[in-house]
Amino acid sequence: MSLESIIFAILGVIAVSGGILTVFARDVTRMAMGLGAFLIAVAGFFVYWGATFLGVVQLFVYIGGVLVLMIFAIMLVHRSPDGSPLLESRHDVAALAVAGGLFFMVVTALRGYVPDSVDQGITSGPTELSEAFLGPMLTHFEMGGVLLLAVLVAVVVILGGEDR
Amino acid sequence: MSAVLPAIPPVLAAIGLMLANGVVLIYMLRKVLGHLHLRLGPTHVGPKGLVQTTADVLKLLSKEDVTPNGVDRWMYVLAPVVVFVPSLMAYAALPFSETLRITRLETGLLYTFAVLSLVPLGVIMAGWASANKYALIGALRAAAQQVAYEVPLLLSVLPVVMIVGSLDLAEIVAFQTGVWAGVVPRWFVLLLVPSFVLFMISALCELNQTPFDMSEAESELVAGFATEYSSMRFGLIFLSEFSNSFVISALAVVLFFGGWTLPFVPDAVIAPVAPLVFVAKTYVGIFIFMWIRGTLPRVRIDQLMNLGWKWLIPIALAWIMIVGVVVKLAAPGGVA
Repeated sequence: MSLESIIFAILGVIAVSGGILTVFARDVTRMAMGLGAFLIAVAGFFVYWGATFLGVVQLFVYIGGVLVLMIFAIMLVHRSPDGSPLLESRHDVAALAVAGGLFFMVVTALRGYVPDSVDQGITSGPTELSEAFLGPMLTHFEMGGVLLLAVLVAVVVILGGEDR
Repeated sequence: MSAVLPAIPPVLAAIGLMLANGVVLIYMLRKVLGHLHLRLGPTHVGPKGLVQTTADVLKLLSKEDVTPNGVDRWMYVLAPVVVFVPSLMAYAALPFSETLRITRLETGLLYTFAVLSLVPLGVIMAGWASANKYALIGALRAAAQQVAYEVPLLLSVLPVVMIVGSLDLAEIVAFQTGVWAGVVPRWFVLLLVPSFVLFMISALCELNQTPFDMSEAESELVAGFATEYSSMRFGLIFLSEFSNSFVISALAVVLFFGGWTLPFVPDAVIAPVAPLVFVAKTYVGIFIFMWIRGTLPRVRIDQLMNLGWKWLIPIALAWIMIVGVVVKLAAPGGVA
């Protein structure tokens, strides 16, 4: 077993156990920690495939930014004195079917796009990425921005709606 | 396994540097703060109190490791590690000289900021897991501070990146070698004064340093997020704090003060002592942090938030616009 596959396996274990913890943990802070482990593993996968820049950005934006913001929000929520509320789903089978279907879709969509070995990995550095974003991919990039803006406006409308 | 072995000595060296740095900085902090407060600092243990820190480290190591009832054990144990490991990782990209560094990263600057941004995660974990209201308030403040100040910190260094055209710390240093018009060093601190000011303010906040040390404000929150920690678990948090001030100060040296180079001195003369020049410059930066710590009072959390969101971010964005236009006009094809 080569060193690469050992690293890959470790990252995989962290990602999967982080994901499981996120779904099954009873305490919402622990869920956030599970999500953190998962996101770190994803950053590791990016670095593993040679996309160091993307890995670093993943670490910075998702763990240093989004996750900290999420935990901040969780801390502001009242914690019930008699432990955490019991979260029971009444749609176990349906949820499992949806998750399975989604997994199948992702695997089918990605098959053929994932490189077989590290050598064929994505090697886009910051320069290539920024050139792509400000050149051929400009429309996509701007559309992403517009979408986020729409989400922000929607949140403002929803929150403002309660006051009225 | 052959790829793992060569990586071990640099990692051990980084741990050694971090520990040595911690010991030196604690002594330095006590002496500097002491003299700023018109007192002497440690004097009794060893000549000029030199061995005081060693004695303290031994005390810390031999103390009982208390785990209070009611803590979230799993997170309580993990938190100091989550604080410590990113601090250690931050050394990886620092260029101590042309050749002396753990690894050369194309995205060195972003990498260092990214790993440092993981530290508050550990702080939040520690505060949450401690089941203590002081610790929790400290953690909340740390999270708010982090979200508000990470943006201006990164924005403040963007002009440097725009001019150099690289995130590689060594290239940023290389760009600053030599002098303009025979007299002015090519240091970015002279060219990008607003960037430097923004960087310093945000860095103090990122470091939880006075005047922005609300997350562990000892006069209000006992020790903030670290209140319930004792023995070496507290030691790890403490060490990481000193290590972070070294890393941030080193980043300031790389970004604004020409790294290991000195103006008017030829490279051949500096080459053998380059790491020493780098560390000396870094320590001057740390001294300034301590000076600020000994001089300024702590601001309130709402003042801090106002400063971050309403002033620093807009100013940083406006400054990026100005630098962008100037760079474009001066070198339409890009500087690099």
